[in-house]
Amino acid sequence: MGDLAAVVLVGAGTYLMRALFILALAKKRIPETVLIPLRYIGSAVLAALIVALLTDSDGKVSIGVPEVSGFLAGGVVAYRTRSQVWTLVAGMVVYWVVRSLF
Amino acid sequence: MDRSVARQGVIDALPLFVPAIPFGLVVGLAVTDAGLNPLVGWSSSWLIFAGAAQLTLITLLGSGVALAAAIGTALVVNARHLMYSMALAPIFQRQPRWFRWLGPYLLIDQVFALVTMSPEDDADRFRTYYLAAGATFWVLWLAVVALGLLIGPVVPEEWNLGFAIPILFIGLLVVGTENWPEVVAALAAAAVTYLAAGLPNRTGLLVGSVAGVTAGTIAERVRRG
Repeated sequence: MGDLAAVVLVGAGTYLMRALFILALAKKRIPETVLIPLRYIGSAVLAALIVALLTDSDGKVSIGVPEVSGFLAGGVVAYRTRSQVWTLVAGMVVYWVVRSLF
Repeated sequence: MDRSVARQGVIDALPLFVPAIPFGLVVGLAVTDAGLNPLVGWSSSWLIFAGAAQLTLITLLGSGVALAAAIGTALVVNARHLMYSMALAPIFQRQPRWFRWLGPYLLIDQVFALVTMSPEDDADRFRTYYLAAGATFWVLWLAVVALGLLIGPVVPEEWNLGFAIPILFIGLLVVGTENWPEVVAALAAAAVTYLAAGLPNRTGLLVGSVAGVTAGTIAERVRRG
């Protein structure tokens, strides 16, 4: 019972965090000084997520030649093809190949 | 509804789901390991619908920490969603009321990454794309967590499929970046998150994101002179 309550509470909290500003600002005029920082949330959070995803539970960031190679391949293919599928294929294949060499 | 936009939403979502497969299987396995009621554990995938927070909560519930601590930690892990809500608030102003209530439920990392990096100007097309991508993740996520409960982790760990997420995010950044203040924001966020990596419960992610937004805003001021 306690476990279900915990899941429901975290679910409700998560929804509230996702909905808070979308609902609160629905009818409000958002001033330009606030709109400017909002534009940089996407780039900043994605870049921060990339580093966070490479961080293990001890707080160590593992990034070496295989990871950087995969990023370069994925980045170039994304730029050229604009395709998520090819970005995934290129990035992972290069990552696997380089990893097997080291 | 524009079918080609809906199809594009599904197509863009599928590669991002690939790395979520082993992750979802691990969440399913964690439910078994933690000794949770399987139905309660699986229900976290539609009640919470956020992999990292689910895994955190399930693991902590199994480890016997105080209930409040488990809930609090899982919510801290999810605090980044406040930033997504803020970033998308201007776009949602042009959406119908029902979608302002439903949309946030589907606002996971991947959906945010897709819509923030390919800003669809038209309100109807944005909504269709968002719903198509979000619904794709939702259906597949519920299925794969159930699969993890039933069969455990069948994807070999040494493939490290999870690495596909940062690769795809790099791709979205490369394609979506339009000006140099955005580059400044991304680089500052990455650098500060790296330096703050030792902070508990993924709070380094929040510190790094705020630093990136600040740096991007300053860069835009400089650009405007």
